Amino acid sequence: MSTKGTKIPERLMIPFAGITPAPTQNGQDLFPTGNWRSIRPVYRDKLPPCNNACGTNEKIQGYLDLVKRGKYLDAYALIKEDMPFPSVTGRVCYHPCEQACNRGKYDEAISIRAVERFLGDLGQALTRDVVKPGAPNGKKVAVVGSGPAGHSAAYQLARLGYKVTILEKSPKAGGLNRGGIPDWVLPQNVLDREIERLVELGITIKTNVEVGKDVSWDDLKKNYDAVVLAVGLTEPNSARAEGENKQGVLFGLPFLRDIGMGTSKVKVGARVAVIGGGNTAIDCAREALRQGAVEVTMITVEAHPQEMPASPEDLHDMKEEGVELMHGKAMTAVLGDGKVKALQLHPAKFSGAINASPINIDREAPAERFAVDNVIIAVGQHASLAWLPQEFKTERGTIKIDRFGRLGDTNFFAAGDIVQLGAGQPLMVVNAVGDGKRVAFNLDKVMRGVTLEPRTIPVDVIFDLNRMNMTYFPHFPRVQQTLLPPKSRRKTQQEVIQAFTEEQAVEEAGRCFSCGTCNACDNCYLVCPEPCIVRDVRSNGLYKILVDYCKGCRVCIEECPTGCLEGVPELDFDTGVVRMDTAFAVSPGLHGRQAEELRNLGDRAPKNI
Amino acid sequence: MPAIEVERQILPILGSPNQGARFYNPDLPSSEPFVPGHRTCAGCGPSIQYRMTSKAAGDNTILVGPTGCMYVANSSYLCTPYNVPWAHTQIGSAGSFTAGVAAAYEAMIRKGKWKGAFPNIICEAGDGSASDIGLASISGALYRNHDCLIICYDNEQYANTGIQASSRTPYGGMTTFSPPGPMVPEAKTLFPKDLARMMAAGHPHCYVATASVGYPIDLMNKVRKGLNHKGAAYLMIYTPCQKGFVYETPRSIDLGRLVVECGLYPIWEWNPEKREYDYSFRPQNMRPVSEYLKLQGRFGHLHAEHIAKLQTFANQQWKMMGIELPEALIQAADAKNLVNMATASAAEAVAQTL
Repeated sequence: MSTKGTKIPERLMIPFAGITPAPTQNGQDLFPTGNWRSIRPVYRDKLPPCNNACGTNEKIQGYLDLVKRGKYLDAYALIKEDMPFPSVTGRVCYHPCEQACNRGKYDEAISIRAVERFLGDLGQALTRDVVKPGAPNGKKVAVVGSGPAGHSAAYQLARLGYKVTILEKSPKAGGLNRGGIPDWVLPQNVLDREIERLVELGITIKTNVEVGKDVSWDDLKKNYDAVVLAVGLTEPNSARAEGENKQGVLFGLPFLRDIGMGTSKVKVGARVAVIGGGNTAIDCAREALRQGAVEVTMITVEAHPQEMPASPEDLHDMKEEGVELMHGKAMTAVLGDGKVKALQLHPAKFSGAINASPINIDREAPAERFAVDNVIIAVGQHASLAWLPQEFKTERGTIKIDRFGRLGDTNFFAAGDIVQLGAGQPLMVVNAVGDGKRVAFNLDKVMRGVTLEPRTIPVDVIFDLNRMNMTYFPHFPRVQQTLLPPKSRRKTQQEVIQAFTEEQAVEEAGRCFSCGTCNACDNCYLVCPEPCIVRDVRSNGLYKILVDYCKGCRVCIEECPTGCLEGVPELDFDTGVVRMDTAFAVSPGLHGRQAEELRNLGDRAPKNI
Repeated sequence: MPAIEVERQILPILGSPNQGARFYNPDLPSSEPFVPGHRTCAGCGPSIQYRMTSKAAGDNTILVGPTGCMYVANSSYLCTPYNVPWAHTQIGSAGSFTAGVAAAYEAMIRKGKWKGAFPNIICEAGDGSASDIGLASISGALYRNHDCLIICYDNEQYANTGIQASSRTPYGGMTTFSPPGPMVPEAKTLFPKDLARMMAAGHPHCYVATASVGYPIDLMNKVRKGLNHKGAAYLMIYTPCQKGFVYETPRSIDLGRLVVECGLYPIWEWNPEKREYDYSFRPQNMRPVSEYLKLQGRFGHLHAEHIAKLQTFANQQWKMMGIELPEALIQAADAKNLVNMATASAAEAVAQTL
């Protein structure tokens, strides 16, 4: 309240019978209308579903918000907290975030991966990375394997101040990123740049060093304070058909790996069959076209394209390029005289889990002959763990770890596909990155002698659109990434999916609902009738509610577009008698400052009434 | 007499939010001439309007408050929530008082007694003052083209005296002066006075516009346009009244949007240069009036034919704005198509059997 310009007669400067204070120049302390209130608005940031779904819990809402305000470098720095190579995942990730996106229930999910790629490419262009190594703590850690999990673990450990050495058995670092992903998805120079970034962080990369051959388990134990095993699944599974040793029979991952490493001597024939229905099989089929095959047929046990454990977008792109699909068939034999001439196929059914392969082949039915020049078998991988002490092996052929990624009481940790195979989650780059990150943090805790604690489950994830105010979000189509035309893709190693321009990235980031999280839209500040919502600078987390005056009308809660504001009954604020002076946010979230200030209200000098 | 250079304030127009898919308000003015601690009801529509208006106007502003909620509830015990000069005047003299303030500043500038920019002079009259009691004086101020902005914050009744019908109360609205009963089942039988059009038609040299608290940036921009307009300007702003309309307090802004989307409160501007209406404002959706009525207790007694009558009225408003009506709205204007709603005669029969 203001009495500016009002001349108050002396006789009126006395309290009104103890109810209302006399008019004074103390201004706003005059009429604390906050005691009318029964429900209090509280800012409480929730977890957006994209952050929750991401394998490494990238702060997706956070960086989209920064991108839409043009703060690209801040956005890149935020993404780098959880993800060492956004330029890689921006191209290869199967984006569980986009499947979880709330906007997908409203019109179309946000193209998060494309924005991530935009930021990753921006980071690649920087002469110096935003990430700095931590202060050295004198401890040495070996990371075995330089694939996604190893890369991520090494990166996080270097940020924590460890002296990290990566041991890689191939002549070039990169692991599955290099060997398992074709160039037309992830160009080699992008990955090379990300590996350079690791070297810039002070990480030593030793290539052509294979654990079990060049270094032993005991060497690792002796020479390093701790070790992260991220060896991945290197050996291809067999399709359990006769004659798989014939010339012209190729295996999926080695086929891609040799092309990726530049050591491939394979020349594929005109007719190629691919056995398998997963993502690797799709990559093999598309790579075969680019290696000169004319007719590529994909033979899957699944009866329908929808059942294939593959990304629908990649499947669509593959069909566009002209790969034929043959469903409900299993290869039972490779026919030919020393060299593949044809395949023997039987009808088959697939039933059950993705990783377990319970395939029912109907061998009674008449066999089918399918003439080919080459066959690529891409039916999964397994690990090669001869060097590992027996006590740490599981019956699935993976490494036995506790829930913190640790091997027993040793200082050995394991991360990535080698522990995730059969653990229930799909094997994806982003899951391996997340695993590497968490294992790095656990390793750090063990080194510092801190007790390990299991991951906390996110308390409040917004899945329900009714918790937000949808009137503020008009329907708006997703910005599509341009693709190379299918005709011209077939013979080139050029990237198929094109990058976003700056305008496209900003437009797409602008579609974000910012589910459950304040994005400083100023709406509460604008609609408050009192107005008792104040801010000095416009920034998330800096809005403050003057609880002395808030009448609890809840207009701000109703009009909050993101659902960050919540109504909390005054009775939930349990301390003290004068409720309006003792409130604090139930969970601080990003509004910790407000909560802190409200908590300290008790120390404030009593009002002069 | 040499011409006097009057320094005028030119207020910038705010950018529009909601461009494309994004919701993000433009950077708002930092001045805060309306401060908390006032005694209006929780969720008060007029005070939302007052705050937005004064924020848009800035600190070099003089407010005139004729009798109404924003005077009675806010200025008790000799203090007000206005951080700028504010003066009360009688309910009938809103226009003459405002004209006097504007004329006084013109004279003071002419005589060199006031240095600095000409202040924004805003009169905040309620609909009782603006459409009934003070209509003549406001018309006079507009006619004489004093450089001021006269706002009618339209809460569709006399609220500070305990909800009495004004000439802006809509058809079917229950107030203490228009209670529903067996003789008059629809409560208020008259349709509201089309105040803003009356002002535009009668004073075509003035900037006239309607706005609603449901569209804050549009509201603030219209205030700024009115203040930037050299001469008199008139704004009619929809402000829901929680006590009179009988709704849940969080709905204040929502009702401001719904009333526009239902066609009961067309948003337009009168362009004094071109002497024509600008109907370019489009709400996101078009809805049947029942969606607006069902949120409010004051319409709780309405029967099918009354709702159909209100829909007909809304459809006329859409047509007046040159907007083509969807079939659903034409259907809703027929009482037969309003299912699950009893007619007045059917309801009366039930009462008599009991």
